[in-house]
Amino acid sequence: MKIILDRPRCEGHGLCEEAAPHLMHLDDEGELVLDVEQFGEADAGPANAAVRVCPVAALRVA
Amino acid sequence: MNGGTIRRVVVVGNGIAGLTAADTLREAGFDGQLTVVGDEPHPAYSRPALSKALLLDGADLSSHKLPAAGHGADELLGVRAVGLDPDRRLVTLDEGTALPYDRLVLATGSRARRLSALPDELTLRGLDDALSLRGRLADRPSVVVVGGGPLGMEIASGCLASGCRVTVVSQGPPLTLQFGPYLADVFARAATDLGLTLVETELARVEGREGNARVVLHDGTVIEAEVLLSAVGDVPNTEWLAEAGLVAKGGDAVPVGPRGLVRPEVAAVGDLAAFPTPHGPRRLPFWTSAVEQAKVAARALLVGEEAPPLRFQPYFWTEQFGLHFKAVGRLPPEGEPSYIEGGPGGGPALMRWSHGDGTGTAAALNYRIPVPRLRRTAQAAA
Repeated sequence: MKIILDRPRCEGHGLCEEAAPHLMHLDDEGELVLDVEQFGEADAGPANAAVRVCPVAALRVA
Repeated sequence: MNGGTIRRVVVVGNGIAGLTAADTLREAGFDGQLTVVGDEPHPAYSRPALSKALLLDGADLSSHKLPAAGHGADELLGVRAVGLDPDRRLVTLDEGTALPYDRLVLATGSRARRLSALPDELTLRGLDDALSLRGRLADRPSVVVVGGGPLGMEIASGCLASGCRVTVVSQGPPLTLQFGPYLADVFARAATDLGLTLVETELARVEGREGNARVVLHDGTVIEAEVLLSAVGDVPNTEWLAEAGLVAKGGDAVPVGPRGLVRPEVAAVGDLAAFPTPHGPRRLPFWTSAVEQAKVAARALLVGEEAPPLRFQPYFWTEQFGLHFKAVGRLPPEGEPSYIEGGPGGGPALMRWSHGDGTGTAAALNYRIPVPRLRRTAQAAA
């Protein structure tokens, strides 16, 4: 499975980083960096939690 | 485990709290029959967007849309729960049917408090409210917003950006109750610089007849506008729970334990739930509270006390009058902040207030910072 970022929507809240810190983080400029795009079953929980907590729906899993 | 086998779970409410609870139940391994009841016909959406990007977005009507639910529940949308029998474990629906459950999540949220029953008095709570207001703004009507809290000010900002003449009627200086006088002043200056008219009053009423409503201040001053909107707080949607005995005496919220449980088989999460806090049971009607409460409570419904309790500090943000504001920690903070980055004046700044008990409030103004770092800043030793 893959995490997809719709960058123009991202407002840099960073709630996704809190939900899945090993998959993504905001850099020093506040831009979201996907450290892991392709993820396996073991990371499905955190990945889905990161997608769900984004208040501007900037992330999705495909 | 309490209450035997769990075959059927019903989630009443399809906002972010209900949606997150349903997602989490699945994630935690519940593979039985899951039913979500939502009184709006729409799929779950992001409520914070309604008073922000959705009022502004040119032709883009998608800022409130969330990724499709993956929980595979039977979704009963446009259906309202009207009663609960906790002893027989039955939820009654307005279409006349009843849903049995082994576990139940109460997440019916809250609605806008109103100052009158006049249809002229608009409120902004649901998607239909926002789309309807957005449609009205196209003609650039004059607007009066009663309520100087974050929601009223966000709506005023959206109306102003649409080219309307906008007056905000506020009980005392706007945002002071929520942000304290120091930050409130930063926002008031940004708002008035952009042309917002601010009127402070002790009390405001909405009077008149249908088609001719107006705002009347405590001193008798009358304010009329083509669009009259109020943003004066919210009321939990708990009338349907009254006979079940789950609503606090003399109140309207559902008090819950530290895991969001009302009883071992019933959880309440989101805007209707009063969670224990150091200051007593409190509703915490914020996006992140709804999400975190729902996660904790869904697991507690499945495994009881083994589930971790809620340990959470809500995250608050607003966007208005060109200011992007984020905060973690107690609001309103007292006094002036220390500046970790930037300085006074509304420019990019990272601020911190120390509360003397080791805790703090961290706030970022037009300053991009991820929530985890904002939390660390709030917790940092003074």
